[in-house]
Order: sequence, then C-alpha cells, then structure tokens
Amino acid sequence: MSSFADLLDRFFYRPDEEVGPYLELAPQTDRAQDPVPEEEPEEFLAFMLEGETYAVPIGAVREILKISDVTEIPRSKKNLIGLINVRGEMLPLYDVKVRLRLAETIPTVRTSKDVARSARVVILRDPEGDAGVLVDRVDGVVKLQLSRLEEAPQLGIDRNAIAGLGRRDDLLFILLDVEQALS
Amino acid sequence: MAPRALTDFVAEATEILDTLDRELMALEERGSGDPDPDRLNAIFRASHSLKGLSAMFGLEGLARLSHRAEDLLDALRLGKVHLDDTLLEALSQTVDVLHAMLGEAARGEDTADVKERAEVVSAELRRLARGQAVESGDVLDAIGIDPSVRAVFTEYEEHRLRENVKKGVGLWKVRAVFGLDDFDTRLTELNRALKPLGEVVSTLPSSQPGDDASIAFDLIFGSGRDREEIQGALIEGSSLSPLGRVPVPPPSVPLPTNLPPKKAPVWDDVSVSGPALTPISSSGSGISSSPSGLTRLSGGAPVETSMRSLTNTVRVDIGRLDGLMNSIGELLLIRSNIERLAEAARQTQGTALPKLWGQELQREARSLERRLDELQKGVLEVRMVPLGQVFDKLARLMRRLVKESGKDIAFDVSGGDVELDKLIVEELSDPLMHLLRNALDHGVEQPEQRQARGKSGRATIGLVARQQGNHVIIEVKDDGNGLDEARIREVAIERGLVTRDQTEEMERRELLNLVFQPGFSTRRDVSELSGRGVGLDVVKTNLQRLSGLIDIESRRAQGTTFTLTLPLTLAIIRALMVSVSGRTYAIPLNSVLEIVQIRTDALKTIEKREVIEVRGQTLPFIRLARVFGLPEEPRVAHYVVLVGLAQQRLGLAIDDLLGQQDIVTKPLSGRLRGIPGIAGATELGDRRAVLVLDVGALMEELMRATPTSTRDSA
Amino acid sequence: MRKVLIVEDSGATRELLRAALETLEVIEVHTAVNGFDALKVLPRHRFELIITDINMPDINGLELINFVKKNPHYKDTPLFVVTSEGREQDRDRGLLLGANEYVVKPFAPERISELARRYLKL
Repeated sequence: MSSFADLLDRFFYRPDEEVGPYLELAPQTDRAQDPVPEEEPEEFLAFMLEGETYAVPIGAVREILKISDVTEIPRSKKNLIGLINVRGEMLPLYDVKVRLRLAETIPTVRTSKDVARSARVVILRDPEGDAGVLVDRVDGVVKLQLSRLEEAPQLGIDRNAIAGLGRRDDLLFILLDVEQALS
Repeated sequence: MAPRALTDFVAEATEILDTLDRELMALEERGSGDPDPDRLNAIFRASHSLKGLSAMFGLEGLARLSHRAEDLLDALRLGKVHLDDTLLEALSQTVDVLHAMLGEAARGEDTADVKERAEVVSAELRRLARGQAVESGDVLDAIGIDPSVRAVFTEYEEHRLRENVKKGVGLWKVRAVFGLDDFDTRLTELNRALKPLGEVVSTLPSSQPGDDASIAFDLIFGSGRDREEIQGALIEGSSLSPLGRVPVPPPSVPLPTNLPPKKAPVWDDVSVSGPALTPISSSGSGISSSPSGLTRLSGGAPVETSMRSLTNTVRVDIGRLDGLMNSIGELLLIRSNIERLAEAARQTQGTALPKLWGQELQREARSLERRLDELQKGVLEVRMVPLGQVFDKLARLMRRLVKESGKDIAFDVSGGDVELDKLIVEELSDPLMHLLRNALDHGVEQPEQRQARGKSGRATIGLVARQQGNHVIIEVKDDGNGLDEARIREVAIERGLVTRDQTEEMERRELLNLVFQPGFSTRRDVSELSGRGVGLDVVKTNLQRLSGLIDIESRRAQGTTFTLTLPLTLAIIRALMVSVSGRTYAIPLNSVLEIVQIRTDALKTIEKREVIEVRGQTLPFIRLARVFGLPEEPRVAHYVVLVGLAQQRLGLAIDDLLGQQDIVTKPLSGRLRGIPGIAGATELGDRRAVLVLDVGALMEELMRATPTSTRDSA
Repeated sequence: MRKVLIVEDSGATRELLRAALETLEVIEVHTAVNGFDALKVLPRHRFELIITDINMPDINGLELINFVKKNPHYKDTPLFVVTSEGREQDRDRGLLLGANEYVVKPFAPERISELARRYLKL
C-alpha cells in the first residue's frame, strides 16, 4: 500500500468512510523524492472547491465526515451554513467559497441530498472552537516543503484567507488560512 | 458559710457570670440564626457550673435560677428550641438577676424585690424551654453508628454528631499523637486549625498507655470540605481517615436505638465485632479498647480495625452527574432508534417472522424506556438539595439587617425542606437576598407610619417556598408600603426608560414591571442594605438564567409579594417542539404559560406593533418566522405560545405544535456562542440537531422593541 | 499516703472536695482542673481513687472515665463521678463505662469522705 493510503488510514479512516476513490485522485506524493532531503516536507490535506485545489495543514484537521442533517441557525453570521451534530457535539458548518470569491451565495444545505455525493465536511481544529468546512471533494494528503511555498499573488481582491501557494509536480495547491477563512 | 469559702465562691461565681455576659453578647452580635455550637455550649456550661457551685454552697435561689437557665440553654444547644430575640432577651435579663442575687449573697442580704424578679425570669425561662417536640427517628441509628462509639458521647455531643449527619457533611477521624508534656497546647492548636473547616464533635483520648511520653486522641470531626483541604489543616502528629469505610448494615439487622441494656456491657459488643479483642475485665496485659473500637491495642502496637461507618453519603462532582445525564440522553436516542427499527420490522410485508421480532423488539424497547426513565429520575434526585441551605443563610443575614435597620420586623421563613437542583439553589441566594433587602429597605414602613395606617407596628417579611408540580414557587412578601405606580412612572420617565406618552398606555402591571428595567431604583440614597445601586434588573437577569418567572403583586399601603417560579432542575428540561416555516424548534416548557389559537383577524396593532388580547391582558404578538427571517405564508389562524420569563409575557406565533419532549440542552460553544435567541441545541431521535430557544433573550430583545423604547423607530 | 485525684474545673468545689477527703488524714489529694490536666497527671502517679466532674471544656468526663477504665494501669481503680449533671442518659453512660459511684451535686461533704473510706478500705 502506498504511504498515502497509510496516512489516510491513520488520520481519517472511519468504518463508514469510502476511502478507496480518493486514492486515484491523489497527487503522487511518494513518487519523486524531494531534491532537498534535509527539509522534512509538511503534510497537508488537499480538497476541491469549485475546481481549485486547496490545502490545510494535516495538524489542523480533526476528521472528515460525510454530510448529514444540517440545522439552519437564524440570524447567524452569513458564512455559517448551519449546525451539525457530530456524535452529540454541536458544531458549526461553514462555507468558505463566498469568502474566497468562488461563489456568490451561501448554499442552502439541509440534508445530504442538497450536496454532491463527493461533498465532505472537513472538521478543523481551531482554538476558537472546532468547526466544519463544506468542501466539494477531499483529494488526499500532499507533502509540501514549507520553504518552497509561494506567496499568494495580489489579485486586488480580499485574499487574506490564503496563506500561500504550494506546487507539487504540475499541481497547484492553495493553502488556506483556516482562521481567516472562518472569520 | 465560712468567710474564706464565701470569698472563694463569690470570686468564682462572678467569673462565671462575666463569662455568661461576654458569650451572650457575642451571641447577640452574631445574629440569632444558626449560632456557633461551641459558643452555645460555653454558655450552657457556664450556667451549669454556676448551678453546681451555688448548690454546693447552699445558695438555693441562685442555684434554682441558674438551673432554669441551664435547662433552657441545654434545650437550645440540643436543638430542641431555636434561638430568637425573645430568648436572647430572657437570657440577658436572667444574667442581670443573677448578678443581683450574687451581690446580695456577698452582702448576706436577701430582698423580696430580687426574689420577685427571679420568679418572673424563671417563669419566662421555663416557658421558653418547653420548646418544640423532639423529632422521632434518630439519624444516628440510620447511619449505623456503633453503640460503643456513642457510649462515651454525652447527650450534647451526640446531638452535635446528629446535626452534622443531618447537614450531610463528611465525618472524619483525626488521629493525633502528641507528647504528654504539651498535648493540650497541641490539641488547642489542632482545634484552631480545624475549626474554620468544620466542627470537632468530640475529642476521645485513646486509652492505650502509649510509650509513657505520648498520648493519642481521636477527634471526631464533621466537615463539608474535601479531604485535601482538611489534610492541609492538620498539624504535625495528626492524621486523617474517613469515618465511613464500612457500609451500613442491612435494614434486616435493626440497630439498637439507644444504649445497649445495662446487662450487656459495652465490651461485649466490641468483642463480637473484633475477634482479636479480649474482654477488658479479664485482661491484665495491655489489651485495651478505645471507646468506639476505633483503635485497638494489642501488645502495645496500635491495630486499626474496621471502623463502623458514621455516614453513608458520598460527595459527587456535579459535572459527573451531568456526564451521566448525557449518557442517559444518548441511551434514550438509541432506544428510539430501536423502536424505529422495530416498527419497520413490524411493517414488513409478507413473512410473519420479522413481524414477530418487531413486536418483541418493541416490547423490549418500551421496558428499556421505563428503566431509563427511572435511571434519569434517580440521577436527577441526586442533584436535589433542600432550599433550607440558602434560606438559613438568608435568615441569618436578615436578622442582622433587621437589627441594623431599627425597624420592628418579624421575619418568617418556611418551606426550607423543598428540594431543588443544587445548581439552582446556589444561584438563588443573590436574587432572594436582593428581594429581601428591598422589602426591608423600601417595603416596610417605620412603626409610627404603620400604626397611622391602622396596621400593627411590627411588620412581617416572609420567605416561603412550596413545590407545585414540576416547579418550585418562592414568595418574598412584606406587608409594607406596596409599590407606588405614580412614583414608578415618574422615575422611569426621569431616567429616560419610557416616555410619558408610553406610560399613558401602560397597564398597572406593566408599570410595576418597570422596576425590573436596568437603571431603575425608586430611591436615590443608596442605603448600605440594598447594595451599591444594583437594581431589580439583576434579580431578573439571575432568574432568567434559571429559566424562572417572577411576578409582582402589590397593593398600596398593604404590601408587596414577589413570586418566583423555578423549574426543579435544569439538567433535563421538558420542551415544547414547534414548527416554524418547516423548521423545528424547542421551547423550554418552563417558560411556556399556555398555548392559544388566535384568528389573524383578531390581531390588533398598537403603534404598528401587533398585539393580542388574552383574558383581558394585552400582550405583544411576535411572529417567530418574521423574527428569524424565515418565509411566511398567510394563514387564517395562528398558534400562539404564551411565554413568560421573569416578569415579562408575550405571545410567540408559530405554525404548528409537534408535541413535548424531554431534552438535554447542549450549549452552543466556541464560534456559535452568542447567537441571539438561541440557548443551545438538542438532538432528536434521528440525530438531527434542533435549536432550543432562549426565551429570556428573545423576550429581552423583543420587549426592547415593544412598547418602551422604540417610539422613534415606530 | 493514699493518692486521690480530683478532676473539677470549679475551684471552690475542688476545695470543698479536698477538705472533705483530707478529713480522712491518710489521703494525699491531687487536683486537675480539666480533662487534659488529668490525662497529664494520671501516668505520673499511682492514684487509688479518681473523682471527676462530667461537664468539662476539653474532653468530657465520660471520655475520661472510658480512658481510665480501659487503661491497664487504672482499670480497677475506683472512680466517682461528682456532678450536677442530673441527666439520666449521661448518668447511665457513666455507670456503663465503669464509674463506681455517681454523686449528684449538691452533696454533703461527709458523703464523699464516707464513700472514699469504703472504696479505699480505710
């Protein structure tokens, strides 16, 4: 088994999760060894938002869930999709697409039927309180070298939520600043 | 009497009377609530010594009166009568007369005047000592205390032990081994260290001969503190162990209610429970037993043997109970899942087998539910404590405050035995104190004014609790001034809380409720008693947090009653499940007064705000869908949930009623904190999260927009 | 001389008792003003009679009786309770714990000397 699959298992395997399909979509993290061996690459979880690949540090990810019922919270912050019940714990589910200018409106999500089959909730650890982020698809774990991260280009719009860019082979990973993205 | 003996006697008697004076004064200063048992005992001892001394020296008059005082003080220290002002007054008069009698004795006089005064106070003492009936059933029997432990206790020590058991505090044995030279100073030191943490009920010298240079004591200590804290107070040479290792014997073995009969000597009991023990009478070689069988000595070495339990209570962190409650909640969810599966199996077409299984499963699920209900009830009961815990504190404080106020007030407390969730009881002392201070400060008039109104010069302030269904009602009432609407109106306008026009439209009840507005206080001069300008709004806030209601009932010149309605517990609440625009919400039933149906054409508006009339009362009508920004559909009639919290009432329009359910509310933490109008969430059987409305916050928000301060926006 | 210990916090009563006992001539009276005091002197002497009050501030007389009567050196030593404690329960307990006599105040001094004479077999 590839080291990626191991990692995926170690971090995220849950009996009710379909781990399989992600493998094909995963970047070849273990194919080419890094030319600068003295630096240990960091691990990131990669996921898709509107066709772009985003990534967050593995350490910030608590778990990945399929979407279940979402309870709407009236008069809450705009980017809040609703409330999800994670084994008795009530956690907020956020949309980050609007913040990232990937979409115009916050989607209305009440049940799993309102999202694509591949959609997942990534629960992020955060000192302000753990929170879920709705993503279109989870790609897998990617190793990136921190020293080789690029700064996010100034695109004129608010991209504070982006911590930088990472490249691996031909793939571009947009690193999400979790704190900013949820604010 | 020989002159020398008389001098001795007078000197000693004077000393005793001085002690009496001093201790009585200290008792008076402390207020007459729950007196320090040591102080009471000291006063009792003084009267007792005086009685014995006077009798020995043939001064019958002194002996008789001090005997009367002793009887009363004995009843007092044994909890048979309660300390109050009348009693204190009688005691201080007694001491005056005793002084006079002693003076006469010293001069060899005997006047009719003093004799007569003695008769009067003596009669009063006797009347007071009669007291209340002694309660039946002894808690010491219930906790299975070893009779041999009790054998060395005086009736008084036994009473103190009983009081500690009743208080539910932990009982401990402090073993202290000190040198023969200085054990008394060390013991005093140890007592001083322990005293702030609890009560040393008894000091038992261990009968072991020791090593000639030291002596051991067992201090029976009752304390509500935890082990570490007590441990921390111990001095060198002392050690701590709980008096509660052995469980209470089963009820089938009744414990002797009193002493064993004379024919059965104490050590017979001991030898039965401890095979290593040789009866004392046949022993000449260093085998001994301490009074309680607490520690037995064999050949000079101390042997700890099993100690009979003095208490069978445990102390539990309330957080653990919450944890248990949550687990039960989850079990209830699983149960409803099972029921769903059973139902599905029953509905299966065709084959009979799954149907049978389904039926069986359903039966099991029902019995599981019953058990879970019992379990839940059990856990809830553990959280319940009597209101007396806070009432006693309040009574103590009130007596002091009444004294300072200079008003003539009787303070009546009842219902201290009513039980409530510990968390609620702990939160109650502030709001209740505030209401009581208010009654004392603003409610009750000076005696002259009362008499001018044709009322008794002595005012009454009452604190009364009773249980009513799933609620506890607490009333704080006075028979004083009553609230002055006109004045309330002026003050509210002056403070900018309302406009004059607004008050024109307000009913009396609404006007009275203005006193709960932040920043309202009908008296400028903030007296020491009612605190630093904190108003009744604090009371309201406190009560809202407890999902409680507060009502004011007030009549001019007749008095005011604040009625607090509180849920029995907050751990699990019954909620009304409602539907609004297809969403489900839970409304805590504590806050629901009633549900009515109102036709849309019966709605009225005041200042463009919708109101409804329910039994003559005009209430704001709030469409929850509109508040929450949800799509609304036109309807002919509305379900209206009349909610109330603290003093406010309003009608919440909803689409449908879905029934009632017991829920455990989980607070929204972290990023979700502070969402207006939402107290938390709860999960239903299908794991869906349902929001629980924060009725208090909703009302706060909506009332702000009705009728008081939104003139400009309307 | 036969040693007797009087445990009594009232000085005046103590002196009355001392006077009553000293009429017996062969008696050497020691006094203790409270229970602690008594516990201190008990090991230092070989008392042949102990007279104690019940109501004392530190340890109560019952506890002292228990201590004395369970102590191998003193278990057979006669002990009188002299008290104004009329309370029946406490009296019963005192006797149960091994007190030999229970004398209620006020009493005639002769009664004490008479009892002492009997127990000390004078």
